[in-house]
Amino acid sequence: MFEPLYIWLEESAFSIWMRESPSMFAFPGILAAHTVGLAFIAGLNGALDLRLLGVARSIPPVAFTRFLPYMWFGLWVNIVTGIAVLLAYPTKALTNPVFYLKLGLIAAALVMLRPILRFARTNRNDVDLTTRLLAAASLAAWAAAIAAGRLLAYTCNRLTVDSPC
Amino acid sequence: MVPLQLALERFFQDFPAVAALMETAWGWPILECIHFLGLTLLFGSIAAWDLRLLGLAKDVPIAAFHRLVPYAVVGFAINAASGMFFLMTTPNQYIYNPAFHLKMLCVALAGANVLVFYVTMFRRLVRLGPGARGPAFVRFSGLASLVLWSVVIVCGRMITFYRPEVCQPGDPIGFLATCVVR
Repeated sequence: MFEPLYIWLEESAFSIWMRESPSMFAFPGILAAHTVGLAFIAGLNGALDLRLLGVARSIPPVAFTRFLPYMWFGLWVNIVTGIAVLLAYPTKALTNPVFYLKLGLIAAALVMLRPILRFARTNRNDVDLTTRLLAAASLAAWAAAIAAGRLLAYTCNRLTVDSPC
Repeated sequence: MVPLQLALERFFQDFPAVAALMETAWGWPILECIHFLGLTLLFGSIAAWDLRLLGLAKDVPIAAFHRLVPYAVVGFAINAASGMFFLMTTPNQYIYNPAFHLKMLCVALAGANVLVFYVTMFRRLVRLGPGARGPAFVRFSGLASLVLWSVVIVCGRMITFYRPEVCQPGDPIGFLATCVVR
């Protein structure tokens, strides 16, 4: 059904450049940046989740809000590089259910980050049960999103419109 | 370098049980997932600590943030162990790979940075109360750690794109051409 969309995307100049450029700054560099971005957003969010679950109790949760610019930096790097990698192989991602699972898990983690940050900004050190549950779910969602992302390479059915994975 | 590489290759080839496990349908993918989760734990905990050294969240004593360091060590241990699994399965894909060489160099430099930090500044820093930013070399140490671990991640991702031809010591001419000279 979406065949024409895949063909149109794959024939775009950017998509061809991503797939065929021998430059280290094309596909390899953009994929590497995607992993660094992941480390910033999921890594720092994970550290905040661990704190809410009882790790390093002497750090007030509000301190982690100072790291937000670095988390947003990681998130934006990954939105941009993620779109670039998607444009390189649109059929590969869009025909794989695991890709939608990954996006859903990231969305869930970001939705959960809102009440987690709201708690952190109240400047309280006694973490209530709801926030602890949210932190555990956030940690699980990021971990599952990372695993799903990694498994995209192994679960795809089609690489491009006319080649299998 | 070459005799060392040959010795390393021979050493890592000696684990057929690990290689057999890794070559099962889900062996390699699962280990990759573990390696990425370890990376996230290591980077997340060490980045929070590094950013504190750089002067963010100054109102929290440095000693409080030091509680995160053991989690970075756990992340590192997970990745050292899972990394060994990759090496034991296809040693020549790493031992002759320039991206892997640079990755290991940066891991060593990050390790040296940690060592210098604990030997020269740690004792004074943990006694500092809230509000202390620490001298310039402390900030340099935090920045160096952040940059080095980022480069480690980039080089790790680059390994795939710098794979040497399969190096077979049994085939002397091909081995020399593809594995030693390059």
